[in-house]
Amino acid sequence: MTELANKLDDVSQRFAAAVDRANDEQALESVRVAYLGRNGEVTAVRRAIGALPPSERPEAGRVINDAVAAMEQRVAAAYEALESRQFDSELAASIDVTFPSIGKPAGSIHPVRRIIEESCAYFARHGFAVVVGPEAEPDYYNFDALNIPGDHPAREGFDSFWISDTLLLRPHTSPMQIRTMQQHRPPIAIVAPGKCFRRDAVDARHLFQFHQVEGLLVAEGIHFGHLKGMLTGLCRELFGAAQSVRFRPSYFPFTEPSAEVDTTCPKCKGTGALGSQTCNMCGGSAWIELGGSGMVHPNVLREVGYDPDRYSGWAFGFGVERLGLARYEVDDIRRFVKSDPDFLAQLS
Amino acid sequence: MRVPISWLREFVALPPDAQAIADRLAMLGFPVAEIERRPTITGVVTARIAALEKHPNADRLQVAQVDVGADAPLTIATAATNVAAGQTIAVATIGAQLPALTIAPRTMRGVASQGMMISAEELALPGEWFEDGIMQLEPDCDLGLDVVDLFGLDTAVLDVEITTNRPDAMSIVGLARELAASYGSALRLPDFVNPGRAADPPGEEPKVLIESDDCYRFVSQRIDDVRVAPAPAWMRVRLALSGQRPINNLVDVSNYVMLETGQPLHFYDARAIHGGRLIVRRARDGESIVTLDGVTRTLSPQALVIADDERPLCLAGLMGGAASEVAPETTAIVLEAANFNGVRVRRMSNALALRTEASSRHEKSLPPALTDLGAARAAALLHALGATVYQPHAYGGPVTRPPAIALKVADVARLLGLPLAAQTIEHHLVALGCEVERVEPETWAVTPPAWRCDLAIAADLIEEVARVEGYERIPVVVPSVAAHEISSAAFTLESRISQALKGLGYREIITQSLRGAGSVEVRNPLSEEQRFLRDSLAPGIIEYLAENASPIRVFEIGEVFDSGGNGVVERSLLTFGFSADPLEEPPWRDSDFLALKGDCEQLLRGITGRDAEMKRATHPGFHPGKTALATLDEREVAHLGRVDPRTAKASDLRRPAYLCVVDIASLPVYETPRYRVPSRYPSTYRDVALVVDIGVSARDIERAIGAAVGSLCTGATVFDEYRGPQIGEGRKSLAARVTLQRFDATITDEEADAAVALLLGALQKEFGAEIRT
Repeated sequence: MTELANKLDDVSQRFAAAVDRANDEQALESVRVAYLGRNGEVTAVRRAIGALPPSERPEAGRVINDAVAAMEQRVAAAYEALESRQFDSELAASIDVTFPSIGKPAGSIHPVRRIIEESCAYFARHGFAVVVGPEAEPDYYNFDALNIPGDHPAREGFDSFWISDTLLLRPHTSPMQIRTMQQHRPPIAIVAPGKCFRRDAVDARHLFQFHQVEGLLVAEGIHFGHLKGMLTGLCRELFGAAQSVRFRPSYFPFTEPSAEVDTTCPKCKGTGALGSQTCNMCGGSAWIELGGSGMVHPNVLREVGYDPDRYSGWAFGFGVERLGLARYEVDDIRRFVKSDPDFLAQLS
Repeated sequence: MRVPISWLREFVALPPDAQAIADRLAMLGFPVAEIERRPTITGVVTARIAALEKHPNADRLQVAQVDVGADAPLTIATAATNVAAGQTIAVATIGAQLPALTIAPRTMRGVASQGMMISAEELALPGEWFEDGIMQLEPDCDLGLDVVDLFGLDTAVLDVEITTNRPDAMSIVGLARELAASYGSALRLPDFVNPGRAADPPGEEPKVLIESDDCYRFVSQRIDDVRVAPAPAWMRVRLALSGQRPINNLVDVSNYVMLETGQPLHFYDARAIHGGRLIVRRARDGESIVTLDGVTRTLSPQALVIADDERPLCLAGLMGGAASEVAPETTAIVLEAANFNGVRVRRMSNALALRTEASSRHEKSLPPALTDLGAARAAALLHALGATVYQPHAYGGPVTRPPAIALKVADVARLLGLPLAAQTIEHHLVALGCEVERVEPETWAVTPPAWRCDLAIAADLIEEVARVEGYERIPVVVPSVAAHEISSAAFTLESRISQALKGLGYREIITQSLRGAGSVEVRNPLSEEQRFLRDSLAPGIIEYLAENASPIRVFEIGEVFDSGGNGVVERSLLTFGFSADPLEEPPWRDSDFLALKGDCEQLLRGITGRDAEMKRATHPGFHPGKTALATLDEREVAHLGRVDPRTAKASDLRRPAYLCVVDIASLPVYETPRYRVPSRYPSTYRDVALVVDIGVSARDIERAIGAAVGSLCTGATVFDEYRGPQIGEGRKSLAARVTLQRFDATITDEEADAAVALLLGALQKEFGAEIRT
């Protein structure tokens, strides 16, 4: 018994020294196998139990088991210490996190589409559908059906590109009002974004190719207050919650009453001034013009077979690039067509 | 239109602040583009030159004793040459403040001067529009009056925009009427009673013969004993503030009346009317007239003229002729205040490329009622200048109010969302000159005033009510929209495509739709470079790629146009692609093409839920050996490839460019994928190497492997290609990996080997493939 105990002591001590010497997982594992494995030294000691008198055997078994438990604990602790050292060395590494990133090519949506999508998403949340239509449209959809007959002076305001006697590039998105109302019965709730063309001389504020977002709501009981409600919400969606919206009387052949819509200049926050300078976005007026709107003219409703005594509705049309100028504080509207990479990158 | 606030104030009481007036006008529908503020001027008074002597010590100076209505005259030395004793002038007294200087006592060559005589320029008026030297006032003018007050020189001038439906408001009276209604204050109009009472001198008054329906009304009036001279200073100042250059008293009266009432007038020298008749008629083909601007204009029957028995004297609504122009020796005139069809005037104006203050009013179809008003006002002004005014004669249709409009009172609230008392509604309409008859409690008959030809339906009246009440009073209400079935599919598709391309690293651009080439032509292009509608997005994108020095990835979604059988065919296209730096690769490999194809496949999969088939193709403008066609369910949806280097070079694009063109309408709707449960058993793979003719495509091999092995094959991918001398001319080496798997058990090596043997046999048979191990 004493002999066995001494032997066990010796094995334990050598084991402890070997564990302490092992400085990687592989060495540690081979130490474990050499002592605690199936053919390890402890097994050899355990075999010696058979030579003891039967009365001493239980005690000897207990002593060996205790020693093995202690050895296993020691090797587990060594494993843990080893892992911890590895983490320490991994965690000791340090990099410059401000070093330029490794990027994939960046994609982006054009700011015009972004404004269109955000506007349309706002209307969609309120139950409006988004419809699109052709850019080359007959004069019927562009003018006649919108209460602008052939000799109407308002046609001069739509200086258009003509393709034939009757076909032109749409100067506004309003043809979609007619197309939609002809295909459906009220309620009509649509927004119609798209490209439009007018023969305007191009400068920092004008393009001959631009985009509009058109809106139309026709049902029983629709009134001007609903127009104010939706467009006020749109301006706040695009420019922020502090935005004010102003409706001024105006004239359009396809609406009556009609209104121009202004919103507080987002650049000078409706003060008209930037420090001591006049605001260069609104020219000091504190307002920016968004576009036209109004209650759908009864003649337009009649044209599509709606009874104006029963149904009423409103429509509006905003210039998207104009919105973009104010929203992104762009100095020149031509940048939206030029779309140079820096412009796109900045506004993406 | 330039509107001096001082002129408005003559007719309506207004708040002192110009900005407040501008804001009010804007909220009435007349936005103010600019407020021109006047400089501060003080201490300038009316005065009379009581005596004028040569300066004792200076040849070029004179010394005046000037009566400013005070006890003692002022002594003023002046260098002006247009002064004489007895003249009434404006004088800046000591302490007076002018835009450029403050008047202090000073000694001019030994004479103490107590002020300064004033020119128009010193009052901040356009000097070149007034007499050289000292501004001359009327002899009967009271002395010592403040000139700034007298002429309203301190109030701002508004640049007011007037919508085309309101020609009645293109006038001081019209705008004053609007402001009076809005402020609820009284409108004080000048006396519009024509002073022409005297019977015409026998044989002198020309008869008017209206031969055209496009002249609705024509008021003529004979005025004698006129003497052409400068107009009174107050009138000249007002015209100048309004942006109208003073000419002489006759021209100025006609301009003044046009600005004040909105009615353009024309004065004929009575001597020039031959035959005693004015005839409103179509011009004869080829007939010509020399207009007041000195231009000889050849006319067509489209033009409407006022002629005498011999020749046209005036282009109706546009401009008078030189032959009957008022001249310094003119003593008798015939006044014309006429009403023409606006469409006719606009067509004439366009055809002759001639726009005038008169045409800009006439072309909007003026109210006929203005004719009598304009004539009366002009007659009164000329009468005050000493002319003999005979009675006016009106020809053509009568002046009537527009027909009564039935207004359902409930419609006001129905359209505006603003409940207003019946009394308020009536009050607003009456304030604008309407007559309201409450035929029934709920339905009224509203008769617009004679000058409001734009009011025709109930909605027009409701807008009037809203304007006077104020649009800002209408509540802000979010509507609740009832369910409907209008589809957003087309827009949603475009959005999804653009989001997918953004995710693939492409930037969206918008290029010009009008270009120098295409098959659909625009009749009235802005330039030759914009004569055609684009039939492809590629040229715009290639130009964009060329403009940018470094490789760049872009896409555009837009409409293209082709001339079809019945006219114009419009399609929505997506085009995306990139420019790239050339790669060091053998000619039979192009990794940039494969990258583009990968993007195309990902896009189509994401948008349609299905995998596209690619096959070799050719397409104009694309490299003949590097172009593919993408199909979905046999339907062609896209072509893609390297841009033909010759096409690129034509746009100065030197680096390789790759484009994929997708016809958006051809894309099938998204098909929801169904999940296939993967096998629970492991797969194995075998790599095979073979040599085939270069005409055999990778896809052919993959397809043949799948067909030969059948359901055991869960994947077949060519992963390497090599061509070279050791392979042989016209041949290439391909390596493919075949993945094999069973759904009911683990596949054995024997089964896998048997499958490979099967597929190799098939490839040998189908493609003459040479198997390499």
